This record gives sequence, structure tokens and C-alpha cells, in this order.
Amino acid sequence: VKALDFLEPSGSAVARSPMEGQAIAAGARMELRDGWNVAVAYDDAERERLRTSVGWADVSHLAKLEIERPGDLEPGLATRAHGAWWCRVTRDRALVIGDPAVREQVEDAVDVTTALAALTIAGPLAREVFARFCALDLRPQSTPVRGFRPGSVARTPGYVLREDADRFLMLFGWALGEYLWTVVADAAGSLGGGPVGVDALEREAARA
Amino acid sequence: VTRLPPQPGERLDRSTSVGFTFDGKPVQGHAGDTVASALFAAGQRTFSRSFKYHRRRGLLCCAGQCPNCLVAVDGAPGVRACTEPVREGMKVEHLNATPSLERDVMAVTDAVGGPFTPPGFYYKTFIRPRRLWPLYEKLLRNVAGLGRLRASQDEREWRTEYRRRHADVLVVGGGLAGLAAAIAAARAGADVVLADEGPEPGGRALAEGGHERARELAAQARAAGVEVLTSASALGSFDGLVAVWQASTLHQVRARRLVFATGDVEQPLVFAGNDLPGVMLSGGVRRLIALYGIAPGTRAVVATTSDRGLEAADALRAAGVEVVAVADLREGRTVLEAEGRKHVSAAVLGALDGADERRVECDLIVMSGGAAPATSLVAQAGGRTAYDEGRGHFAIAELPDDVLAAGAVADHGDDPERSGERTGALAAHALGLGDAPPPDGPADRRAPEAVPPAVAGAGRGKCFACLCEDVTAKDIHLSVDEGYDSIELSKRYTTATMGPCQGRMCQLPAIRLMAQETGQDLASIGTTTARPPWSAVPLGALAGRPWDPAKRSSIHPRHRELGARVMWAGDWRRAYDYGDPQAEALAVHESAGLIDVSTLGKLIVRGPQAGEFLDRLYPNRFANLAPGRIRYGVLTSDAGRIMDDGTICRLDDESFYVTTTSSGAGAVEQWFSWWLADWRMEVALTDVTQGLAAVNLAGPRSREIMGRLTELDCSNEAFAYLDGKRAQVAGVAALVLRIGFVGEVGYEIHFPAAYGQDVWDAILEAGAEHGIRPFGLEPQRILRLQKMHILVGQDTDSESTPFGAAMPWIVKLDKDEDFIGKWALEHAAEHPSETTLVGFTLPDGDVPTEGAAVLDGRGEPIGQVTSARHSRQLGQIIGMAWVPADMASDGTAITISDESRRLRAEVLTRPFYDPDGEVLRS
Repeated sequence: VKALDFLEPSGSAVARSPMEGQAIAAGARMELRDGWNVAVAYDDAERERLRTSVGWADVSHLAKLEIERPGDLEPGLATRAHGAWWCRVTRDRALVIGDPAVREQVEDAVDVTTALAALTIAGPLAREVFARFCALDLRPQSTPVRGFRPGSVARTPGYVLREDADRFLMLFGWALGEYLWTVVADAAGSLGGGPVGVDALEREAARA
Repeated sequence: VTRLPPQPGERLDRSTSVGFTFDGKPVQGHAGDTVASALFAAGQRTFSRSFKYHRRRGLLCCAGQCPNCLVAVDGAPGVRACTEPVREGMKVEHLNATPSLERDVMAVTDAVGGPFTPPGFYYKTFIRPRRLWPLYEKLLRNVAGLGRLRASQDEREWRTEYRRRHADVLVVGGGLAGLAAAIAAARAGADVVLADEGPEPGGRALAEGGHERARELAAQARAAGVEVLTSASALGSFDGLVAVWQASTLHQVRARRLVFATGDVEQPLVFAGNDLPGVMLSGGVRRLIALYGIAPGTRAVVATTSDRGLEAADALRAAGVEVVAVADLREGRTVLEAEGRKHVSAAVLGALDGADERRVECDLIVMSGGAAPATSLVAQAGGRTAYDEGRGHFAIAELPDDVLAAGAVADHGDDPERSGERTGALAAHALGLGDAPPPDGPADRRAPEAVPPAVAGAGRGKCFACLCEDVTAKDIHLSVDEGYDSIELSKRYTTATMGPCQGRMCQLPAIRLMAQETGQDLASIGTTTARPPWSAVPLGALAGRPWDPAKRSSIHPRHRELGARVMWAGDWRRAYDYGDPQAEALAVHESAGLIDVSTLGKLIVRGPQAGEFLDRLYPNRFANLAPGRIRYGVLTSDAGRIMDDGTICRLDDESFYVTTTSSGAGAVEQWFSWWLADWRMEVALTDVTQGLAAVNLAGPRSREIMGRLTELDCSNEAFAYLDGKRAQVAGVAALVLRIGFVGEVGYEIHFPAAYGQDVWDAILEAGAEHGIRPFGLEPQRILRLQKMHILVGQDTDSESTPFGAAMPWIVKLDKDEDFIGKWALEHAAEHPSETTLVGFTLPDGDVPTEGAAVLDGRGEPIGQVTSARHSRQLGQIIGMAWVPADMASDGTAITISDESRRLRAEVLTRPFYDPDGEVLRS
């Protein structure tokens, strides 16, 4: 929507996640990708974390679009298309989350990329991490792969999408980024987890 | 020698010694010991002093049920020594005795305090003379309670957290019934959690000859996929959520079916001296022998109402303890009195009527007064109990559909495993898993039991009904005598059942005594209401993690770097100032200032009916607003009261950008959504509050600074006051609103939050040579007050209308559309407000407190101050206040009463600064 072009993060300045400071403090190596300063890697233990315990990655740079008239998108289950997740939120509204190029696939969308920050929480203990701050039922029988759950995360409104058996995408208010990082780091840290970069996340996904 | 040779199934690792201290003295135990078992083995017999009379108390249940072994461990009071495992170096201390456990000066209350300490004595004895109450209070506070907490603590020392767990079936209780239920449900395909309060599942079987089978079932449960939580006490059932405390974790379990296999609680007998160290329950004796290899005495007397006591006698004999007498109530004999000063030295046995009395020397009295099904959690989950005359206890009579019970709690104690297996299968089958179990078998086939008397040996000494609160049979008699003749009233008056055991040991005795005193039957008396927590829990365990869901603007890191004082503003953390609020406000007047206003609520309202939608919500018009223009809006409720305010910018024919107050953002979004759902208009609403950062660049140099940041023509002709334009600012797509909350030429720049820090930096850099200065919330409040711009919620309250708030111009009663609050505002227009919001000035001096009263000539309050600040720009104190409408004229003198001060102020009805808005529009 042209009148709303000021919502889209497409400027020449560097786009930053609300968790950038915490990622850097945790030892992240940052790289500029598609205009975003992204935490791409941390340390040598990232992949081990993803395989044996739990890791979390800041993926706030993912494009997020709000569309009306979600058509035949299934409630509660996301659809993967055009490099993005298509998630029905209500009867009249859906969220599209993923590759920035997906913007070309939708018309009449409101860009909410910077309204929602995002963390991917992955690894065999991912559900245990959620259990520390979230009452959503994320068991496979209730939230299978592609399951999309609006609900409360750490006492704030959010969404949880099960991307894979042990991989969850969590969306929450941008202004709550620092808070959510603290909560996730506390919960995952107590279970032996740590932050991971988006590169390790992608490599693990490719391996799976 | 207290320690026995290794016992089959004992918990000890005798090859590993564990050292700790008790009241500073070193004690050695074995790995696997509890604090109580190690102390008992070391010769300790007195474990605590009682709550009121400071009587010696020794081990009783050895199962974490009673209050007798409460100690402090490493400074934390209220720990049950009988369930607390020994750890190397732990520091264990007694509670409730001064100066020592052996010599407690407060024990004098036992000898002479009786007449002064009846039930509710603190309401009676210490009433007169009234002037001595402060002394009494100090004394009572000193002697009340069990243990002491530190008065203050800087930081948490204990990490506690919540864990949410969804399950198909939750089994509470890991005895044979619970284990069998869990296995059956899990094998049918259910996701099962089992919570047991013991360090290992197995329940009574572990100490009563069934340890091999218990451990076999526990292994089977784990193999079947059951999540077994040990040392995990179920605290309560809260609308289907069962809270289970396990060490540092509070599990919040939501299961589709609840299976309670909580067993039963062995009941003490009420007789004279029944609290002396050396009087133990049969279960406690058997646990000491079987689990910890301890002989609980050398010469034992057993008093029982069922086979449970006889089985304990066999176990004692097998452990080498001489059983010198058995008093079985089924044969008409019981224990009437325990004798001894520090410890049991003899038992007096006889018939209930005192006949056939016999004194037997002994150092141990083992009692078993029947068992009460542990129904508290069942009742909390919606179950109902009824008195079972045959068994002499309250049993489950009715269960909700999603609640099941197995084993002894369901009166299936004769074959707990079979009962559990069937119940687990039933729970799973109800969820569509597995086959239906076969029909129920015959009812409980346990041997008959005798129902114990309310009290035996009355008149021989204190007969305790409630050990936690030191409530005797005589106390219950007195409470009934004084009119507290229902169990709920008696409970509150005597405090029986309100102590650490939560009625486990005392509810049934108290009911029996009440029945004896009132002549009612037990069924009519009933039980007290079951309430959480069922098990004692430290408050710290309920605290969870200490995180506050704070919102922070994307520019927040810069505020920290600039040394801002940060404060809470609603659910946001905001920069209050950067060290000198007056200087920051002056900079806005003299050069330029920059404030982070990202916290403003921001809504996109779009669709063919967007203008009409806003016209229905606001009392003024928006459908006729031209694209690229801005209008101020006050949102009113159905009652015409001010709810919120903000600006609305029309972006194009179908799109509006609505801002709200920071604190009202959530409520406005809900208000819009609610009406949208009701009106079903062709409008879409998107909350972008957190998606956009926003800054306000204001001051006489702001236009020049904007010129360095954007290609936009910022001249007054091209970009007039109340214009809104989309433009690139500092290389970022932005919406720029020319508005002036702070009273100077200003630009509110809204842009994607991801660029917050970079745009902030760019503006400060561009404004550096113009003297730009960041300013915080406090200088903003000074500046807005100079303009008499209201803060909703501070200058208004739930009764304020736009008319009273001196904004009649915003209400367009002649609008075609009906709008929220129209009817009420029409009424308000016809009936002028009795009070009006005005400004006032004071000569420089003390700033009145916000909330201070405005007085009339007689000193009566007639209004109140809502805002007040010193303004360095104006050289005076300014403020706003509600005053009677007839005083709302320039120059009227008012008196402000601020604590002891009387301040003379002068009313002003127009803004203090730039009253005609010439600066804003320039």
C-alpha cells in the first residue's frame, strides 16, 4: 500500500533488531544482509547446541506482512510457499513471514516487519525452554509441524510456529525484544543452551 | 545401638558418610539418610518444641506429614527433617526454642500457661489493660511463629521457575496404585505425568515389604514413557491446573484427566501425653526400620485399631525390638496415657472406660488410629466426600467426569495395583485411547477396623487433637462451649487444621471431638473446605523468575549511553531526563530539542469506510479531513467521558494514521476492535505501535535541521502546521507530522523501528551545530503544561468531559453520524459542568503537589490541582486545576492547600506560552 510505504524497512540506513545489543554482548559475529545487521554466528558450539540441547537465534529481520482475505489458508496450520510461512490469524487476517522477496507475491499487504521481533528456538530441549515461559501446548499431538499458535509468550501477546520437529519460530512485540531475549536466555541457559547464528540454523535445517 | 544391620530395600549407601551439623554439633549420617534418620541414629530424640506450649516433640510419621521435625536448614526455616536428605556440610538448626532445644524457657507455658492460653487467648488474655497492648504485641510477635526469616535480602539466592506441562493424564501419588494407573494409561498411548512426593515412587510399599514390586513398577512406568516427578508435592488443583512443586521448579500441569492416587494418612490416637517423644505412628516406625535401618526403640507398646498396628509389631520384632504389649481396640483395649518427662518411659493401657488398667514400662509407643483417605486434592478438583461409618472416615462419594481416584484414597487399599491399573485404563479410554477396562471387582476386602474414640484418658493430662497448633481435646470442648459449634468456626477459633500438616493428622480427631461435644454425628458435622496448598511450600517456590515484561523503544540503547534517568511509563521504560530537565526544556525554546516518542500508540485504520468509522468513534469529524492533513481527536466513552486523545493524519482516501497516548494504546486498540466487530464495517485495523519509532524534533532551529535530513520542502508554506507528509528522512522512509505538543515548531517523525538508533544519531548530528539537545519526559511535561495541553488520566479523570476540560470546540453535535457518547455529550452541553479545568500561576517558590486541594474562602475544598511545574522559560510556577465553573475566569484568585501550606494562585484560562499559537504556526 503506497500510503503506508513508511512502514517498510527499506531505507539506506542499517536496520537493527531490538536484540542486537544483547547478541553482540553474547559474542555474535554480525554481518550486513539485505540491509539488516544480522547475528550470523557465535562460537564453535552452535551446531552441537542445536543437536543436543537448545539454541536460539534472532531472526527479527524476516519480512512480516499482514494480509486481509486469507483465502483458504488453514486455521492453526501454516502453509509454506514462496520462501515464507503463510499463517492464518483470524477469519479475515493472515501473517506472511519469511524471505523479503515474498513482498512481491502479495498485494495490499501492511508491512509489519518491525512490529514483530522474532526468535527461532531449536534443538531437542526447545519445548522445555518454552515450558519455562509459555503455557501453549506445544506437544506434537497439539502443535504438529506447521502448527501455528497465537497466545501468550512470557506474559505478552505473541505467536509460535512449529517449523520442524524441534524448531519453533516465536514472534512477539518489537519493543519487547530485550525482555524476551532475557527470558529466553535465562530459560535456555539453565538447560545448557546458548545463542546460535542464523548460519548454523540454516545449516542444521539443510542437514535435517 | 540404633542402627540395624542392612535392611532389604533400605535407601542407605553405608559406604558413604555424610557430615553435617545440628545446632553447631557435628553429626555423621550415610548417603541416603534424611536429616531426621541421621539425627535419630545419632541419639537425638527431641526434634522440635511445640507451637504454643513449647513441649518436646519427637519423630512421629517420618513421611513429611506432621509438624514434629520442622527444622531450619542453612537458614531456611520450615524444613521437615524426615524428608530432607542429608548433604555434606549442611547446617541444621532447631526452631522455636530459646536458648536451646534442651532448655527452652518458654516451656514454662506448658506448666503454668494453661489458664492463660485457651483458644483465642490472644483475643482475651492480652486485652487489658489496653495501654499495655504495645508491650503484649511485641511479646506475642516474638514468641509466635515457627522460625525466622531474614528481614531483608538484597538478591535472590535461590533460582525458582515455573514449568508448564500439558499431559493427557496426570497421576498424583506414586504408590502401587499410582504407578499401575500411570503404566496402564501410558501403555494405552496417553501422555502421562506422575508426581510423587517421595524421593522415589513406591509409597508405603517401599517400607512395608513391597519395595521390590514398587521399584519394578517404577521401572515399567519410565519404560512406558511416563514422566515421573519425584520429591514433587502436588500443592493444589486450580480449575484443572495442578501445581506441583519439585525443588526449584513449580510444574503447572494441565491434564485432560486427573488420577488421584494420594493414598491415605495414618491417624494418631488422642490420649493423654500423645505428643511425647517416643510416641510414633506405625508407618513412621516401619519407615525408620525399612528405609534407614534404624531401631526406633528397645521396648515397644503397640496400640492399634486395625491390622496396620499388628503388622508394625511384627516388623519391630523382626528388627529386634521387644514388643511388650499390644492394645488392639477391636479387643477393647487402647492406650490411655503416655508417661515420661523428656521421652516416653511407660504406657498406661486399658479399656475405654478405664477398666483393666495396666502400666507398662517402654521407650516406644506405636499407635495406629486408622487411616483417613487423602481426599483434599480430590475435593479441590471438584470431588465430594461423605462419612463412611464402617471405616470411621470421610471417603470419596462423587467425582467430576475428568477426575478419577485409585488405591487407598478410593478405598481400594486392599489391592492398590489392580485399582490403579483399572483407573489408568479408564482415564486413557475416556480420551479415546486403549480398551475399556473390565468391570470393577468386589469392594474393599480389608479386615474390619475399630473406630477410635474421640479421646481416651481424658483428665490425665493434655490430649492433643492438633499437634501443629497445640490444640487439645479440652480446647475443642471450650470452643463449643463458647458457641463455636460448627467445624468451620471451630477451625478458625482454635486454629486446628490450620498448621503445617493442613489437617492431615487433626481433621478427623477434631471432627470426632466436635461430635462428642455437640452430640451431632460426624456426617452432619462434615469436613472443613479443602484449600491449597495441600503441602507446605516456600513462598520463593511460587515466585517464578523475576522478569518484568518491559517495552523499550528501539532508541533506548542511546538513552542509556546519554545517561538518561529511566522510569516506568505504563509498560514502557522511558528516559525521564538527561540530567537537567529545565535546561532541556529551555533548549527546545531557544534552539532545538529531540525527544523519543516511540511509545505513542499508533494505529493504521484503512478501508472504504475508514473515515466514517472514525466519525462514529470520535466527537469531531474525520471523514472530511483532507489527505495529508492532521486533526486532534479526543476519544470519549459512551458516557461522554474523555478516554484518550491523539492526532489523526489522513494518508490517502482510505487510510488514516491514528496516534494515541502511550498508556492508552492498548485500550484504544481494543476499543476500536470491539466497535469494528460490532459495526462490521469495511475497515481494517493494524496496530503498529511497536513497529514504528517516533521522535519529535522541536524548536526554532528544527526547520533548518530538517533541511539537512530530508529533500522535503520544510518551509511553512510547503509544510504547514498540521500537515502530514511521507518522505525520506536520514535515508529512511518516514511519515512526518507537523504538530506541536511542546509548543514550538516541531516535526514528529515516524519510521520503522529497526532504524531507531541510526535516525536518532543522524538528527543529533545534523542538529549539533544548532545546539540541539535530547530531552526527556519531564521537560516534555513542563513544555506541554506551558501550552496547557492536557494529559489524559492526569488532568482528567473518569468524570471529565470535553466541556469540563475546556475543549467544547472538539464536540461536533451537528455531525450527521451518531457517535459514541453523543447522547451524553448533548446532555452535558445542556447542563454546563460544575467544575472546569483551568490554568493557574504562582510567583516563583514552592511547586504545589499534584493532587493538592483548591479551597474556597471558608477553607472548604472545591477543586484540585492536576499538574504543576516550575517553568524556567516563564519564570514562574504554572499548573492546571479543576475549579468551580464560576471561578474559571482570568485573574480569579484561588487558594491551594498543600499539606500545611496555603498558596495564593491566579487563574488563567489560556495557554501560558504562545497563547495564540503564533509560534507553532510560524
